[in-house]
Parts: sequence; structure tokens; C-alpha cells
Amino acid sequence: MSERPARPTKLPLGLLLALPVLVTVGALIVVPYVNIVIMSFRTPSTTRPYAPGFTIDNYARALTDSFYLELLGDTVRLAVMITALCLVIAYPAAYHLARTTSRWRGVLYALVLSPLLVGVVIRSFGWIILLANNGLINQMLRALELPALPLMYNEFGVVLALVHVFLPFMVLPLMGAIQGIDPRLEEAARSLGASRTKVFRRVVLPLSMPGVQSGCILVFVLSCGAYVTPALLGAGRVHTLTTEVVTMLDQFLWPRGAALALILASAGLIAVWLWAHFSGRTMRGLA
Amino acid sequence: MTRLSIEALEKRFDAVRAIAGIDMEVAQGEFVALLGPSGCGKTTTLRCIAGFESPSAGTICFDGDDVTGLPPEKRDIGMVFQNYALFPHMTVNGNLAFGLEMRDIAAGEVQRRIAEVLGLVQLDGLGERYPRQLSGGQQQRVALARALVIHPKLLLLDEPLANLDAKLRDEMRFFIRGLQKRIGITAIYVTHDQAEAMVMSDRIVVMFDGIIHQLGTAEDVYDRPATRAVASFIGLSNFFEGTFSGQVGVHYGLDTALGRIGCGAGFALTPGQKATAMIRPEAIGLASAVPNGAAAFQGTVAERYFLGNLADYRIKMADGSVLQVQQPATASFAPGAVVHVILPADRAWLVRERAP
Amino acid sequence: MKPGRAAYLTSVAAVYVFLMLPISIVVIASFNSGKYLRFPPEGFSLRWYAQFFASQPFMDALELSLVLAAVSTLAATLIGTPAALYYVRHAKNWRETFRLYTLAPLLLPEILTSIALLFLYYQIGLGTKTVAGLYFGHIVICVPFVFLQVTASLYNLSPAVEEAARSLGASPATVFRRITLPLIKPGIINGALFAFIISFDNVTISLLLKGVGTTTLPMQVFDYLRWDFDPTTAAASTVSILMTLGAVLAVDRLVGLRAMRY
Repeated sequence: MSERPARPTKLPLGLLLALPVLVTVGALIVVPYVNIVIMSFRTPSTTRPYAPGFTIDNYARALTDSFYLELLGDTVRLAVMITALCLVIAYPAAYHLARTTSRWRGVLYALVLSPLLVGVVIRSFGWIILLANNGLINQMLRALELPALPLMYNEFGVVLALVHVFLPFMVLPLMGAIQGIDPRLEEAARSLGASRTKVFRRVVLPLSMPGVQSGCILVFVLSCGAYVTPALLGAGRVHTLTTEVVTMLDQFLWPRGAALALILASAGLIAVWLWAHFSGRTMRGLA
Repeated sequence: MTRLSIEALEKRFDAVRAIAGIDMEVAQGEFVALLGPSGCGKTTTLRCIAGFESPSAGTICFDGDDVTGLPPEKRDIGMVFQNYALFPHMTVNGNLAFGLEMRDIAAGEVQRRIAEVLGLVQLDGLGERYPRQLSGGQQQRVALARALVIHPKLLLLDEPLANLDAKLRDEMRFFIRGLQKRIGITAIYVTHDQAEAMVMSDRIVVMFDGIIHQLGTAEDVYDRPATRAVASFIGLSNFFEGTFSGQVGVHYGLDTALGRIGCGAGFALTPGQKATAMIRPEAIGLASAVPNGAAAFQGTVAERYFLGNLADYRIKMADGSVLQVQQPATASFAPGAVVHVILPADRAWLVRERAP
Repeated sequence: MKPGRAAYLTSVAAVYVFLMLPISIVVIASFNSGKYLRFPPEGFSLRWYAQFFASQPFMDALELSLVLAAVSTLAATLIGTPAALYYVRHAKNWRETFRLYTLAPLLLPEILTSIALLFLYYQIGLGTKTVAGLYFGHIVICVPFVFLQVTASLYNLSPAVEEAARSLGASPATVFRRITLPLIKPGIINGALFAFIISFDNVTISLLLKGVGTTTLPMQVFDYLRWDFDPTTAAASTVSILMTLGAVLAVDRLVGLRAMRY
């Protein structure tokens, strides 16, 4: 052999591969987020994006004004409700999907996934048709000569529709976690004398906790940031931080909107962190 | 047909030494097994020969040509991987043609070579199948055919039988060995299965912790293991620790807790030096009466297990040690019986505690 | 059947009904002859579809949505695929950081990203006078979906397969073209499908970034729902569902959806 060819150096090729994403995310995520943080310290102005000078007034107002505090509380309360409902509703279906040997399993899996393929607007639309004051459900109630119920333009409608929107995000991680539990563990527990309920409480539930955690965090974070469904089913009568922020944009109060949006995002992150911290588990496997 | 020479090969991953001081010469047409437990460096050695790892030091030569710096695609090797690594998006024919296409071989010749190699591995008529449509054994043979069809200088096999069931594995051992002999190709075979290594190879390289403990024929490593690790890894052994007392003819005397025993050795000792002897369970004799002429030690049968063709005994000796002895199942000693244990000097062997 | 098991299976079935209910209702409403969906339905009609296809605003919105989704998909695939290759094959010390960086558009609240982009566009003078900003926004939120899918398919690809090709004489470039690329193609196509659906259905980004006087199909539906109930939106929604379904089925026929994850 006459020559020893130089080994290809990995660095330039690697960086070339990474470059497009570095630029894209850098320009369209990092820069705008840095900018919005700066913006949140600007002085608001109703006639232009912001007035000269910096201030912490936007945060001070958002965190002292009882209106905003209540709004923050409402947003978190709704998110907790949605997360809890999703968990309770999703668990039996996830367990069934993970354990069934039916030949319909593929179809059922597709059914769980399919709502993800339909836009949030359309799914909210379906709920409007069902829940509106003269919607299908109230028509049926009237036909049965029962009093109509206020199902929409309130928290009930918003929570119901959001549970529907986020349910697949709960089912999938739960299913993954339950699939990872050896079915023989359940058989072993039953052979040791545990009832079905006990097996669930002492074996299945604790072992599926990583899935519970990922699902809950995902749904909670998504709920905090939801805008479309509250806007449609709340129709101006259910206020969350997101709907309020968008209203502020319309009123051109950008620095205040920026501060509020950042408080919302950090509230979600802090809640997630607290939870992960107290449940004593790592957040690995999330996302 | 290629002669492989490896000299002072060393590979470090960051600060961790994977292999060091690997020296070996593999003759043309020879079948050599690299044997050892997982993590012993046998796969790293193979990957250095293939060119997938660049050694930290040392040289690898094919027929005297230094290939150490060559990338794998320029080495002209045929490699069979543990999980076969067949191209899932290509048919058997596509898999077999790939290496030939890389060599710009004419289409007609490609067809001829594929037909030839499919016949060789007894897979005629399966050329249009995809790998997923084949059984494990068939996939294995396609992997072998793919490596051979390019007429490589060297055939490298990385635990190719590890994923087959026991019966098929047994068949494939003889199949691969037969094929290799027929073609006359030089082959390096990585395995952790001692029986596989012994059945298939001309010579065996036994490795532990990144270094070679012994390089020899199956008889060498079984009857005359170089180190205690080799003796423990291959087959069953009884060990006796003692002090070298001096040479008596061809035999070495070793004073042990049982008494003096005679044994062979592959290295020189000085009287008074500590040493360890090993003897295989089936080499030990048992007798109910004191035998004539042979050194015998008294023991008691503690346990007896019936193995079909053999009986496996645990003999409790006077010093409290327990020997494992295997005898033809025809002779029978009941538990509790007092027996005389014969340790033939030409079957006992001195082993080193660490690699030379 | 024991009552406990019956209750369990009923609750499972109820979840599927709940999941499919609002979507089916929209489809049914689009074929209903009356303006309001009555119980029992008033009769079958295609008049809302006729109105939808005759409506210039809806047609413009549909066109923008399709072009926007196609461009975003192409760009996100060209950005996300090399990123996945870098992450799996080359990134060393900052692997996790790089992954989080690439997934950031997915992990950050979309509404916040939308607001942040809006502010930036105005400050650099881009504003929403053109649709360029809308395209950028869609591309960046689509990238993580391609990245996730391609990463998964790269992990399923055993390095031994590529090594086998090297041992048979293929150069690294040939290995990529003949082995790696064909084997991760399903991942790339699945990722592109996700990107398409994410862009086609998106409201949160479009809400703030759509150019003046232009709108996407889901935005058009959103605006109609906010101000007036019109069954044309049901027809528009059903068309949108069918288009997504068509894309999914096409990909399924092409490469199969086995690797599909959300």
C-alpha cells in the first residue's frame, strides 16, 4: 500500500448538517424569545410598540393586580382540572389498548390517534354544534321537555372540549408505560392472592407512574397555553391568560402582553418543575 | 488466499485500553477463532482487522502489505455480522450484487457469481426473496454468501451463530467450516462459545482483558492451558496450589496440601517457587482399592450426579478440598464410599496466574 | 361477564365514542340541508359544499393553506433531516442540548412563539404586510416533527448494516446514498406527513402572523365560528379532514405508518 489516506474529519460535515437547524431555530426562536424578554421590560404605549425607557412595572402590575392574579389562578385551575379528567378518562382506554390481543387493536390505535389529525378548530366546532344554547344536546333536552342547560360560554364547555383535544396526549404515554409492564407481574400478584383492584393499585398503577407523569405534564403544559378552544367555546366569557394576552395585543399593549405571556410560560414550567421535584422522579423520557 | 500479520496492536477508547500487545500470524487458508468472554477485546481486534476501528498503535498487514490506515471499503474483506446486517430494502440478489457492483463487475458476471454462491450456500431459487421473508438460518447463509461472493482476501465472522437455536447452530458450525476449507479462504472467527471455537478452528486465540493469554490448537488450549483463566474458561478444571519441588524426568513435582503431585509444564520454574496445577475432571481416576504404582490420595464420595454417558462426582479430600471427577457411568461409587483418587502426571499441567 | 369487567369495557368504549363524537358531528352537519343541525336531521344536501367551493374567500384560504403546508413541509424536511443525522451520528458532548434546541419550537407554548415572532417582525420592519413571516413561523414549528421521526428511524437502523456495506467496498458517500437514505426514507416521509398536517391545521401561529387581507383555511373557519354560525364552515372542515385523511392514506400506501409516533 503506497499511501495512508487521511481519515475524513467529522467536524465540518457534522456542522454542515446541523447548520440549517441552528440558523432556523436561532433566528425564529432564540432571537424572538430574547426580544420578547427585553420587550417585557419596556414602557407600554398605546400609539407605538413601546415608549422609551425600561421598567419592571409590567411584571409588578401583573403580579399584584388582583385581576391578573385571579386570571393566573383560573388558568392553572382549569389546567389542573383538564389534566385530572384526562388521566381518569384515558387510563382504562390506555390499559385496554396496551393489553388487548384483539385483531381490532390497530383500528383502535388509529382511532386514538385520529383526533390529532383533525385541527383544533374543527374539533372545537363539533363541540359548539353539540353544546350551543340551541345545539343538539339542548334540542334533545327540549324534545324531552327538560330544561335547557348552559353547556357553552362557560368553563364546562371549555374544559370538556379541551379534555377532548388533549386526551390522545394522555392515552399514548400511558399506553407506552403499561405496555412496558410485564403482564406476568399481574399474574404473579394475583397468584399471591391480590384482587383485581389490589393488583391495579399495588402493581399496575405504581409501575405506570412514568407514563402518568409524562402524560400529565404534557397535558398540563398544553392546557396552560391553549388559546383556540377557550376563545371559541368561552366566546369572550371565559378568560384565561392566553385570551387576555391576545386581547392586549389588539389593544397594542405589547410590553404588558409580553410580561403576561412570560409569566404564563414560567407558571407552567414552575408547576411542572415542582411536580417533578416532589414526585421524586426524573423527567427523562419526556418529549 | 491471504496471510494476515498483526503486530503490537493496541486500541484505546479515550483513556480505556480495549486491547494491547496483540501479535499474531495467520497462515493462508487458516481458520482462527478469537475466543473469550464479552469485553475481552476479541470484537475490537476483529473490527481493527476490518478497518472499522483505527488502532492506537501497531500494524496490520495482508500478505505483507500494511493496511492499517486503509478504510474498510479498500481492504477487500468479507465480513459476516452477528445480526447478519442484511440490507432490508434489497432482495437476496440485491444484497449479493451490492459488493460486486462496488467493484464495477459486468452484469453477466454478477449473475454468474450470484448463482454460483447461492448454490454454494444451498439457497438456490431464493434470490428474489427479501431478508424478512427468510428464516434465521437462511439469513445467516445469505450473510455468508454476501461476504464470499466478492472473493475477499479475508473472511471475518463476528459471532455469526449467536442468534441461532442450538440445533441449527450445531449444523452451521460444520457447514461454515466445510465451506471455508473448500474455498480455502483465510478466516477469523469471533466467538465466546468454547465448543464452537474448538470444533471449527485450526487455532484458537484466547483473550482476557484485552490481551492474548494463549494462541494454539484446540488440544493445546484444552490439555495444556497457558493460564489459570484459560483453564477455567475452557472446560472444567480442578486446581492445586503448591510449591515447585523439582523436576523428575519430564514431570514437575508440586507439593500441595494433598501431598506431592506430578505434572507437566510449558515454562521453567525454580525450586521453592509457588505454582498452580490444573487437571480436568475426566482425567482423574477413581479406584476402590489402592492402585499399583500410581500416586493416590484417599477421599470420600460426597455427591454423585448421573449425566447419561458420565457420572459426575464431588470427592471430599483429606485437606477439606473438594475435587470434581467425571467417570464413565458404568463404574459406580456410592456417596459415602471411601475412594482412592489418582492424579496422572501426564494429564496434570502447570498454569500461570497471569498472561506471560 | 362479571359486572366489573362490563363496566370497564363500557368505559373504554365510551372513550372512543367521546373521541369520535365531535368530529362525526361536524361531518354530519356539513351534509345537513338546514342551517342548524336539528335532531332528528332535516335531510341530506350538498348545498354547503356548493357554497364552500363557490366562495372566493374560502377558496383563497384553501389555496394559501395548501401552498403554505407544502412549502413548510419541504423546508422543514430539508432542515430537520440533516439535523437528525447530526444528532444521531455526529453530536457528541452537547447531544442533549442540541436535541432540546431543535425541539424548542415544540416544547415552547405555540401562542408564546407566535407573539414573540409577531413582535420581532414588527421591530425589524417585516410586519405582517407580507406572508413571508407566516411561512417562517410555520416552517419553524414543523421542524421538530421531522426531526423526531427521522431520529427514530435512524435509531432503528443498525450501524452494522452500514458497516456491512463498507466491508463490501462502498465509500461513505455510497453507503449514505444506497443504504442509509433508502432505509430512513419512511421516517422522512412520515416526518413530512406530520409537518404537513401540523401546518395545514395550525391556527395559533397563523392567528397573529397571517398577512393583512390573507387567511388560511383553519383561520377562516375560526373567524366564521367566532362571529356567525354558517354550515359552510362544516363543509370547509369536512374538506379539510378529507385532505388530511388523503395525505395519511397516501403515505400509508407509500411507506406504511408503522413508524408513526406523535
